[in-house]
Amino acid sequence: MVDDNPSLLLEQILAVSHRLLLQQWRQSRGLIFWAVFPVLMMLLFGLVYSHNASMRAGLDAAAAGILMGAALFFSCLGGTVAMIAAERERGTLRRLLASPLKPAAYFLGMVLAQLQLALIQVVMLYAIAWFIGARYHGSLWLGAFIVLVSVFSYVGMGFFLGVRFASRSEEVVVALSAIGVPLLVLGGTFFPLEIMPSVMQTIAQFDPMLHMNQAFKGVAAYGMGVKDLLFELIFLVVFCGLSIALGISSYQHLLVMELQE
Amino acid sequence: MTLALEISGLSKRFGSQQVLNDFSLDVDRGEVVGLLGPNGCGKSTVLNIVCQLLLADAGRIQLLGAPLGQWGAKARSILGLCSQHCALYADLRPEENLDFFARLYGMAPTIRRARINELMDDFGLWPHASTRVGRLSGGWQQRLHLAVSMVNRPDVLILDEPTAAVDASARIDLWRLIERLRDGGTTILLTTHQLSEAERLCNRIAVMQDGRVIALGSVPELLARVKGQAIVKIESHERPAVMQRAMNLGWLTFNGSDGLSFLLSKPLDLRAVVSALDGIEVTSVSIQDVTLEDAYFELLQNH
Repeated sequence: MVDDNPSLLLEQILAVSHRLLLQQWRQSRGLIFWAVFPVLMMLLFGLVYSHNASMRAGLDAAAAGILMGAALFFSCLGGTVAMIAAERERGTLRRLLASPLKPAAYFLGMVLAQLQLALIQVVMLYAIAWFIGARYHGSLWLGAFIVLVSVFSYVGMGFFLGVRFASRSEEVVVALSAIGVPLLVLGGTFFPLEIMPSVMQTIAQFDPMLHMNQAFKGVAAYGMGVKDLLFELIFLVVFCGLSIALGISSYQHLLVMELQE
Repeated sequence: MTLALEISGLSKRFGSQQVLNDFSLDVDRGEVVGLLGPNGCGKSTVLNIVCQLLLADAGRIQLLGAPLGQWGAKARSILGLCSQHCALYADLRPEENLDFFARLYGMAPTIRRARINELMDDFGLWPHASTRVGRLSGGWQQRLHLAVSMVNRPDVLILDEPTAAVDASARIDLWRLIERLRDGGTTILLTTHQLSEAERLCNRIAVMQDGRVIALGSVPELLARVKGQAIVKIESHERPAVMQRAMNLGWLTFNGSDGLSFLLSKPLDLRAVVSALDGIEVTSVSIQDVTLEDAYFELLQNH
């Protein structure tokens, strides 16, 4: 019944993704907060920018920043950490580890689920942004590619944080606040990089969120192309590869941790 | 015919603690073998190693005649695992849980659908088909949990204290289901703390202590390890007098789970026992056959 063929891998990826989306759909309260948070952020930023005519140019960049730094950060990274913690807490992880589920299928299944959620968030957020006056200026394909590698990276980081720092659901917020939020700040989500001290600016160069923000803002708000964003794109692709490796190895590490408990 | 499981010389150490120490056990096909033993004796560690969740430091496991390592990931489709903690997705319905786990085994959609229907029938789950698992009672959750562990038609089913977390009525329901699996030819290796469960379900019982098997056999075989035919239990304030009289009568002090207990090498009726205790004030006397519980404590304490 079980073999190593690619169709089994695909079936497992689809099964994991379908199950995660079904769970997400059934958790109605979580679903509402998941939808409301980025929309509220966009509306608040929209109100601020529309109130001050000299700052309206920043609205396009704000939409891109909210998508990368608020919506995808909390749903893809936070969601992954929460899902790992929930699997560990409920004991389902041990059952998965005893099943033929491949680590890559578990990781990619989670990525696929998060990609579908990300797509909904992109549409939802940009519909609101459009309504309040923000515009998307660059290539849709390039924007989609940046979202894709960002989702992979967020899920990879989520796996790592979930495995290392969140064995129970109450530890999810702690892990996200202690590690995720500083990365958001350094990534230029709340303040422009230029106003940070030079030491912080140097450290920020190692923060993947900075490059996600800069790349997506570059495309969405300023219409930049591949040549203009080459450094950010290379950084993101390399980081994405590292995140996939980190995510899959974290799953294997989970086995050791589960049995030590 | 090849054995379902052959475990020999298994050892495992966690830090300074030797959890398994030359553990060996054979399980025939279609047999139910129970692992009994006090907490920390290594029962779950054996199961985790068999399920490839843990690597042994030493020893050999043959699954259906081939080394476990040779099966690789395929061993996971030969084995089924059901633990005491109900590892299911609370937001999903029973069929959705079964479907998810069936997909992990790569079952084709038509085969999967047929298998899910079969399990829903066999485990009587249809009345709860539209209920999310989190809203089911503990007994129904564990029933579904057992069904999930059978989704891949495992040759060997591993049950780790499957009824530990359910009430008495659900326990009896689960016993009936396990008996049906046993009667259907599924090989089962189970751990339990409940002697009645082991007595009812198992063909053979392995009593474990300090990471190894100290006794193995059917219930009558284990009872035969106790050197006596009956146990007399006495309650009295004159404990030393009772002890002295029993010694004079050649009754063996029995290390049972409670009170003043003596093994009788030949059956005596109650009147004869009371007469033998003449002159000592006793509050109660009872005679009973040697039970699995008696044999279990005797084995643990005399080993």
